[in-house]
Amino acid sequence: MATTELRNSRFRASFTDPEQLLRAVAYLRAAGHRVLDTYTPFPVHGMDEALDQRPSRLPRACLAFAALGLALAAGLQIWTSAVDYPLIMGGKPLLAIPAFIPVAFELTVLLAGLGVVASFFLVARMRPRWRVPDLHPGANDDRFILAAELATDVQFPAVARDLADLGALESSLLVEDRFQRGGSFWDRPAGVGALLLACLPAFLILLLVPVLNRDFQRRNLAWDGGMGAPLSAQAFDASGVLPGGKVLQAPPPDTLSRRGEPPLAYGPGKAEADRAGRELPNPYQPTQARFNRGKLVFERVCATCHGREGDNNGSVIVARGAFAPTVLVSPVVRDMPDGRLFHIATFGGPTKMKGYGDLLSREDRWNVVLYIRELQKAARPGPTASTPASTGAQP
Amino acid sequence: MSQTFTVPVRDLTKSGIPTLADIGERLRGGAWAFVLLGAGLLGLGLVLQAERGWGNLLLTTFNLACVGLGGLFLLAIQSITGARWSDPILKAHRAMPALLPRAGLLMLLLWFGAATLYPWARPDAATHEALHGRLGWLNPPFFFGRVALIFGAWIWTGRRLTQQGKGAAPFILVFGLTFSVANFDWLMSLEPVWSSTIFAIYGFSGMFLQGIAIVTISAIVLRRVGLLPAVSKAQNHDLGKLLFAFSCFWAYIFLSQFLLIWYANLPEETGPMRLLLQGRWMPLFYLNLILNFGLPFVLLLGRKAKTSEAVLLATCALLLAGRWLDLYLQIMPPVLHGLTPAFGLAELGGILLQLGLGHLSCWPVFMKDANPAQELPQGG
Repeated sequence: MATTELRNSRFRASFTDPEQLLRAVAYLRAAGHRVLDTYTPFPVHGMDEALDQRPSRLPRACLAFAALGLALAAGLQIWTSAVDYPLIMGGKPLLAIPAFIPVAFELTVLLAGLGVVASFFLVARMRPRWRVPDLHPGANDDRFILAAELATDVQFPAVARDLADLGALESSLLVEDRFQRGGSFWDRPAGVGALLLACLPAFLILLLVPVLNRDFQRRNLAWDGGMGAPLSAQAFDASGVLPGGKVLQAPPPDTLSRRGEPPLAYGPGKAEADRAGRELPNPYQPTQARFNRGKLVFERVCATCHGREGDNNGSVIVARGAFAPTVLVSPVVRDMPDGRLFHIATFGGPTKMKGYGDLLSREDRWNVVLYIRELQKAARPGPTASTPASTGAQP
Repeated sequence: MSQTFTVPVRDLTKSGIPTLADIGERLRGGAWAFVLLGAGLLGLGLVLQAERGWGNLLLTTFNLACVGLGGLFLLAIQSITGARWSDPILKAHRAMPALLPRAGLLMLLLWFGAATLYPWARPDAATHEALHGRLGWLNPPFFFGRVALIFGAWIWTGRRLTQQGKGAAPFILVFGLTFSVANFDWLMSLEPVWSSTIFAIYGFSGMFLQGIAIVTISAIVLRRVGLLPAVSKAQNHDLGKLLFAFSCFWAYIFLSQFLLIWYANLPEETGPMRLLLQGRWMPLFYLNLILNFGLPFVLLLGRKAKTSEAVLLATCALLLAGRWLDLYLQIMPPVLHGLTPAFGLAELGGILLQLGLGHLSCWPVFMKDANPAQELPQGG
């Protein structure tokens, strides 16, 4: 075996100063010994030249992995945001390069870093071990170590004397490397178990999250009298720097507008709802197109709670007692005027229902009112009164 | 051993080879010419268009101060970390802080131009909405009191650090606070509507990058004239790596500031940024990115490039131009009230003044402990 042949021919020496190490390496090489490697707490200038090492090829792996990361991140973002599912976000263009940079940068750095470390382990044939073979504990602290192999026909004591003259703290022959025998469990390469163990601190930190959680509602102390707070411009302020001299700008092209509808002359609340019921007629006549549109909107938005037939059947909420919504085909709702229903669709009901004025266009809300009337016509007048889980007249 | 540059051995008895004293004499004459011409052009610029003149004086002053601080900061972190790689080039670091007193005097000159530059120094400042409640901090006497205090702190801690090698850690603390205040005061208050909490870090990233660039140029030039004989390829490689890393750092900080403004699109932040992104300032905005990040990244990517003196010199020249442009884009848009950018007498004067003052301040420090009769290495 190779290890037995190498027995008693390899030695190490430790120094306190990188200059001494450099001199020792030069001396050993000149004397015909083979310097295997040096182990230092930090890179020593000139060591590559002293050991006559070829430049590392790892930078090429680094560049390749970095390019791969960049291509992956850029490709994924561009394809998803601009090609496969183009969706305008925040008035930004589809191909919003600045928005892609952080992810592209992080993935580039991540793959470059992990890739070059993996390549290094691969090239250096290093694998995780339970117990790390340690040439000299000081190599990670403040000692500069070299490992070398004796030239043939040279006795070690002579070399050790020369090394001591060069400033070596100690030098010793290396005995057979017991790690190469792989005797005990701890000397074998570590597998997945070591990886899981390494992840343990991360799990422990997760346990701390509830403790570290702080109250984000509380405001910080304004130690500078608020001078550091930015001056926020309001929508209707004048502006010295923005086009048109005002803060409010025209929306970007292709923005969906509310179709220039004038403000609604009604506010939220019971009195306003009653007033809407008295004053507001449905401006649209029932047609097939309006029926279809109303059905579409109703089934997407309203049916979740009210049920597809307006009778709470099949709704997600039907079995929940007090949370059950008003039955739309009940006599109470039949008797409500169109304007009142429209008001509820816009501002919400008096108890639970939220208003949909900011989500549905005005026309769609009227279409839904038309569709509800059709539902009421279709429903048999009898059983609606006995439909379970209705809370009565509260819309 | 580390690879050193081959300098041919000269016959010292031969005459006709210029000595250090000779070249110092020649360079000093040139530097004085630069200073006088620069000051004259800047003065002419002041008369022709006051805003541009004062703006360029502020740019010149701030840049000179940043060069001094860059040297000090590099010196401080090398002292704290106990770095030894930089021992052969520390002379280049030690020379740069000599600029600080001169920059301080120039900064105090701005007292006369404050009303032209800063909205808070104008008589109608009280009616400026953005300045409401801020005039207690931003008023000329307090402002220039801070200027004097800040420069005093820099010069005092700098002297201790360069001459006695003491106080590196306190300097870092003092520097962090004062440099932030300086950036917020001198540059960001030009446009009171606009604010950015990362502004000082952005200024720091540019300052640090510029400091490394000037150390690199000094190290290469001084090695060539024989003042830093111990500089080897290893130092060049380290400086190249630093340049590469901090060019990326600058871009990182630049994007950190820009991305949030671009994304949030808040009117008070986007307004001033709009000037740079649209219209005639746009090419300069992109040129800034190319000079400070794009070209240095490509040029310094390879290992050989990081040790090549020619590539390093070219990159440093690009970076210095980029730093000037970076400051120009921070100072000029608010000062010119959104007019188009211009390069003319005032800008040229400012640059000449920087080069001349830079040389006059640093060369005596370079020459300290050097033998003036030493002859220049030929073909080194």
